[in-house]
Amino acid sequence: MTPIPPFPAPAAHLTRRHFFSRTSLTLGGAALAHLLGRDAALGLESPAVAGRGLLGQPHFAPKATRAIYLFMSGGPSQMDLFDYKPRLNTDNGRDLPDSVRQGQRLTGMSANQATLPLAGSAFKFARHGQAGHWISELLPHTASVADELCFIKSLHTEAINHDPAITFFMTGAQIAGRPSLGSWLSYGLGSEGDNLPAFCVLVTKGKGGQPLYARLWGSGFLPAAHSGVKFLPQADAVPFLKNPEGVSGPARRQLLDRLAELHQSEYERTLDPFLNDRIAQYEMAFRMQSSVPEATDISGEPESILDMYGPDVRTPGTFAANCLQARRLIERGVRFVQLFHQDWDHHGGLPGAIRSECQQTDQPAAALIKDLRLRGLLDETLVLWGGEFGRTAYSQGKLTAGDYGRDHHPRCFTAWAAGGGIRPGVCHGETDEFSYNISRDPVHVHDWHATILHLLGIDHERLTFKYQGRRFRLTDVHGKIVTPVLA
Amino acid sequence: MAGVLVAGLFPGTGVVSAAEKRIEFNRDIRPILSDRCFYCHGTDANQRKGDLRLDARDAALEALAPGREHDSEVLRRIFSDDADDVMPPPETNLSLSAEEKEMLRQWIAQGAEYQGHWAFQPVVAPPVPAGPMVDGHETGREIDAFVTARLQEDGLTLRPVAAPARLLRRLSFDLTGLPPTPGEAEAFASAMASVAADPARRQAVVAAEVDRLLASPHFGERMASDWLDVARYADTFGYQSDVAMNVWPWRDWVIGAFNENLPFDRFITWQLAGDLLPNATRDQQLATTFNRLHRQTNEGGSVNEEFRVEYVTDRVETYGMAFLGLTLNCAKCHDHKYDPVTQRDYFSLFAYFQNIDESGLYSHFTDAVPTPTLSLATPEQEQARTLAAARVARAEAELTLERNRRRDAFEAWRAAAVPPGEGVWPEEIGRFSFDALTDGTVANALNEAEPGRVLDDVALVPGVRGQALKLSGENNVSFALGGKWTRDDAFSLALWIKPPSVMERAVIFHRSKAWTDAASNGYELLIEDGRLSAALIHFWPGNALRVVAREPLPVDAWTHVVWSYDGSSRAAGLKLYVNGREAGVEVVRDALTKDINRGGEDRLTLGQRFRDRGFKDGMVDELHLFARAVSPYEAAVLAGRPLVPPADPSAEAAGLFDHFLLAVDAPHREKLSVLRTLRQARSAAGDALPEIMTMREMAEPKPAFVLARGAYDAPTTPVSARPPEFLAGIEADAPANRLGLARWTVSRQNPLTSRVLVNRLWQSFFGEGLVRTPEDFGLQGALPTHPELLDFLAHRFMESGWDFKALVRFIVLSRTYQQDSDPPPDLRALDPDNRLLARGPAFRLSAEQLRDQALVAAGQLNPAIGGPSVDPDQAGRRSLYTFWKRTMPDVRMDLFDMAKREVCSARRPLTHTPLQALTLLNEPGFVAWSRRVAEAAAAEHPDDEAAAITAIFRRLTSQAPTDRQLAILRQLRTEQAALSGQDGTAASLAGLQAVAQAVMNFDASVMKR
Repeated sequence: MTPIPPFPAPAAHLTRRHFFSRTSLTLGGAALAHLLGRDAALGLESPAVAGRGLLGQPHFAPKATRAIYLFMSGGPSQMDLFDYKPRLNTDNGRDLPDSVRQGQRLTGMSANQATLPLAGSAFKFARHGQAGHWISELLPHTASVADELCFIKSLHTEAINHDPAITFFMTGAQIAGRPSLGSWLSYGLGSEGDNLPAFCVLVTKGKGGQPLYARLWGSGFLPAAHSGVKFLPQADAVPFLKNPEGVSGPARRQLLDRLAELHQSEYERTLDPFLNDRIAQYEMAFRMQSSVPEATDISGEPESILDMYGPDVRTPGTFAANCLQARRLIERGVRFVQLFHQDWDHHGGLPGAIRSECQQTDQPAAALIKDLRLRGLLDETLVLWGGEFGRTAYSQGKLTAGDYGRDHHPRCFTAWAAGGGIRPGVCHGETDEFSYNISRDPVHVHDWHATILHLLGIDHERLTFKYQGRRFRLTDVHGKIVTPVLA
Repeated sequence: MAGVLVAGLFPGTGVVSAAEKRIEFNRDIRPILSDRCFYCHGTDANQRKGDLRLDARDAALEALAPGREHDSEVLRRIFSDDADDVMPPPETNLSLSAEEKEMLRQWIAQGAEYQGHWAFQPVVAPPVPAGPMVDGHETGREIDAFVTARLQEDGLTLRPVAAPARLLRRLSFDLTGLPPTPGEAEAFASAMASVAADPARRQAVVAAEVDRLLASPHFGERMASDWLDVARYADTFGYQSDVAMNVWPWRDWVIGAFNENLPFDRFITWQLAGDLLPNATRDQQLATTFNRLHRQTNEGGSVNEEFRVEYVTDRVETYGMAFLGLTLNCAKCHDHKYDPVTQRDYFSLFAYFQNIDESGLYSHFTDAVPTPTLSLATPEQEQARTLAAARVARAEAELTLERNRRRDAFEAWRAAAVPPGEGVWPEEIGRFSFDALTDGTVANALNEAEPGRVLDDVALVPGVRGQALKLSGENNVSFALGGKWTRDDAFSLALWIKPPSVMERAVIFHRSKAWTDAASNGYELLIEDGRLSAALIHFWPGNALRVVAREPLPVDAWTHVVWSYDGSSRAAGLKLYVNGREAGVEVVRDALTKDINRGGEDRLTLGQRFRDRGFKDGMVDELHLFARAVSPYEAAVLAGRPLVPPADPSAEAAGLFDHFLLAVDAPHREKLSVLRTLRQARSAAGDALPEIMTMREMAEPKPAFVLARGAYDAPTTPVSARPPEFLAGIEADAPANRLGLARWTVSRQNPLTSRVLVNRLWQSFFGEGLVRTPEDFGLQGALPTHPELLDFLAHRFMESGWDFKALVRFIVLSRTYQQDSDPPPDLRALDPDNRLLARGPAFRLSAEQLRDQALVAAGQLNPAIGGPSVDPDQAGRRSLYTFWKRTMPDVRMDLFDMAKREVCSARRPLTHTPLQALTLLNEPGFVAWSRRVAEAAAAEHPDDEAAAITAIFRRLTSQAPTDRQLAILRQLRTEQAALSGQDGTAASLAGLQAVAQAVMNFDASVMKR
């Protein structure tokens, strides 16, 4: 994979040489998969952990073999979607009691507000499914799959501003430079298929709100091959996938054949196995030129499936299209698909704004669950939904009849999980009457990460990478598996 | 044989067969203890288990029992089969191999001797192994001696010198980042051919070539490339937004410093502390931008202090990695687990880097440059500004004289003066009684056309006279009047206020967009901790003036307040009057040098500001606005103090003379008007001039503390500035500031810096350093493959006066560097990573080099040096100048492992992925360049296919194709021409373009071998 790996080790290189001695004559799938991340740890492990961190297979039998993370960037309001708090309506307009706030720091946006008036949700709540989950009227489709879902109402984080908070959720640290969740999975598990990257990223097109940045799916100090590959909503979803204008498929094939010949002749002269690696690199690129368009072409999807995701699904780059895309990618062996949907940062005008986000996301998210269930894939696919923090019980800015805003709130918020290894119907954790503090079973971001890795067969304490003299983990030195949500 | 070789190859990795050598602590034992034991039995007292530490021999003696292996508790535990007893405990997921256990056993049997960590020992020149000079390589022969001595242990020798074409390509990329031109390649090849038989003359030819490259202005660009990674140089602030940071002038300084061969100790000193050098030059100050290149946030609602601490943290950690080769990050929250860096050490370094007048946020709503700054005016601009400032100074001096000359006029006026009273004051432009709200406005008694505008219901309550405003903290009253006052205008406001309580912070009035989100650019009157606080601000805190009243403001009582400002941009020119008397003030800042009118609407606002704390439950009455400074006399009258008639002898004491000068005396007022014009001219000459963020030490260092768990709001023990304690101490009389630190950094007391620098340069040329963890010279880092060579080079570098070009020359003229890079298969098998240096380096070109090579080959490289960063699609500028966005880096360069530049980075990973293949094959730029290469070759050799193909090959690989390669490419040309669907010249060109594309993707083009 890399001729000069950052942490070379004798044992790893023996393995690497053996690898090539076995595969250099045939450029089969294994060698190609190697390029996309499978066995990518080869040659990169420090001697001290060789044989432990290198995951030829998961640490233990995984409950899920792949995952889709529907990340709601900006911080959706838990008390307008899932965390039903009638007390906020009863006390609408009254100041948040000091006994509840307990001196908790606020962001600079509302810290200086003259009053902190409680804002009841403008939306009706009802219980759904046999589990009786409370779900807001904003999410009728999600409500229809309530019994597939497990809610965690007691997530909490340490950061109060978007950048550190989202970086924390995506990489396990507030500061830049750590590998993202998907990169860890790619590094630990590789890809299941041979033709697509192990870790793909889909961003809802044309959204405003808080920005996203490459760091959120970057590989940090892991090799760059473990970075998420951002799929764009167009025919060549991967950068520079299409042949240049005027270059036909057969012409390209022939060019690659001659290029391989050049490399082969160089190999014969030098016997440098790296040249075989390079040939494989180009073969893989060639295969991606067909595998990526195949994966992203939804023209073969039946109407009934498209209808399930809703009308937006026909517009590339919408959340609906991305949900369908996510299913197609994991079907083809992609290990981890990370979706981002921005614009949940509703400091003001929340009732109108959140309605619009729900309209864009509710039906597709529910359809993804149903679709996976239909195909028998849900049991082995972990689906996650949530943002980087929650929102305040009090109104940021003016509270008027029917209108309010909510500031960032790191102390409690709701996420849901479904599919592989998740116990459906469970509601884990509770908040107080104001959804301001957690009253039972807090789940920290590190716990959330530990649980995700666990479901994918990884012991979060054992998936490590040695860098700058220490072993790094996604969960740093923290993280407890949230066992009550496990099936 | 193989066993010995492996043992030598991988010192410290535990594969040494213990029976063969005496155990050496640094090589054999420390890596095991550090990796498996120190987490619980190391330096961090809080983490220590069983009260046992193994990092210091004295403390470990009892448990080790040296020489008495049967009494050794350590051995008993590591060899134990009992899961409850064995070390390391199973739950740590750590374990010891049988070889490692055996090694520990032997070490204890041999006496358990410790050694200090190699990198923390002083740099001493080691003896150079004896041996003949290799192939006439006089310069660099010591390198060859060390490398050869090591090779001889394994019966190996250096590989032959690389072929001239390969050698020149290597030298050109290493010294300029560019491929040789075909002309350079030919000249070098023929010069080499003419001296082939004579090693000494060969060396002379190579040396001449090296000297040519060292003298190229592209040398500075090539070396800057590496330095920019270390310095985390980027063109945008990062965090959330790609807002331009405009620090490229610093980058150009770096290029120039390398080209001029600025001694490296000065290169370091200037960057760390150039501002503190006596009579610091502009370049010395500019160099300190190094410390300001970290990311900065503008995210609304961020806590200022939290991010200020982040920035200082980044400076400390960058310093640690760049100059000490240490990853200090861990020690921010706790004592380092593996290295002897304590949390106290960390914050003692922190104390050096925080003494600048900075903000934790850059300005979201304005483009004001975060302070402190350095002016980047051209000499002409600087001269114009100086001249304009001198005119202002002269007029101010003149005004002081004029004051005395007006005494007679004053006495004459005073005798006849009518007492000022309830009428309109001269230049009073607004008067608001707040007695009624009409259609969301409050009336201006002096000008119907300029009422105040009320936002959100403001209550009217009984006030000082008639009704007054009662504010909620969220609502406000604002005025177009006063919205455009500049720092050159004299202006005054008078009003009654009634705060409900002792307010920690409240905005009474302001003209600005926001508080931290705009660095408070504007003017403002606040209550801070119960006191009046008045300020004019360009960028808070570094470019502003602020005065704060010494006496607390009365609470729950009506107080009359006058703000009177004279347009001088000086704290002395801003006066506060409380209930008619001048208030004693503390000058908090007095450094306003730029405009105060950026961002937001041009309105004066009462009672509230975006994301700031409003005047909640405060009352305001009787607001007067003046387009001049008001006198103490007027302030007293406005406050309702008994009027002293002008003729009264005590009137002068009450400020009547000032009143006469400011409000009455036409000649004096005319001079004030002239002064204002001159000040405006000075501002016009200066306000728009570019600035850059630099370091400027504050007069008083900020107090520094250990922050518990690294949290910004948890200061504990006070600390003072000093280097880490485990390294040799700083001289007692060294200044406790960055200059002291810089001098210590480049002193012989510091064992790390020269080793770290030499190692990174080695890495730049060889792909891997002599220490393969350039970011970690600590206990967890790799041991040097050639420790004596590293020390020799580090010592020589210091001895040479930190002569960087000489160091480069010394390395590249060595026989070791010039070896061919293709090893025989058995050598590759024995030493896959080239740790022994028995062959030359081979690795992929960097992201910048790949693009630059294509640009050169296409004849489209613009060789200009320096200037603002550019959109790479717009210009054929070198990749070094690509406008680097931290949040969305250029995808093409990102795919080729370009450093992200978010934090300091001492090396880039080198990967090979299918996405890179797709980029080189399909990215429009590379496609267009391949076409240009083909067109040029076709034009040069219209009737000679082989010659055209050879020309293409040479341009992209710096060498001629072999017969086999040529044959393959000729076949490719023919096939592609046929497949192009075109004919004649077009088909031929399509075929040649395919050849260019194939070669651009060929190993020989992508790699430096």
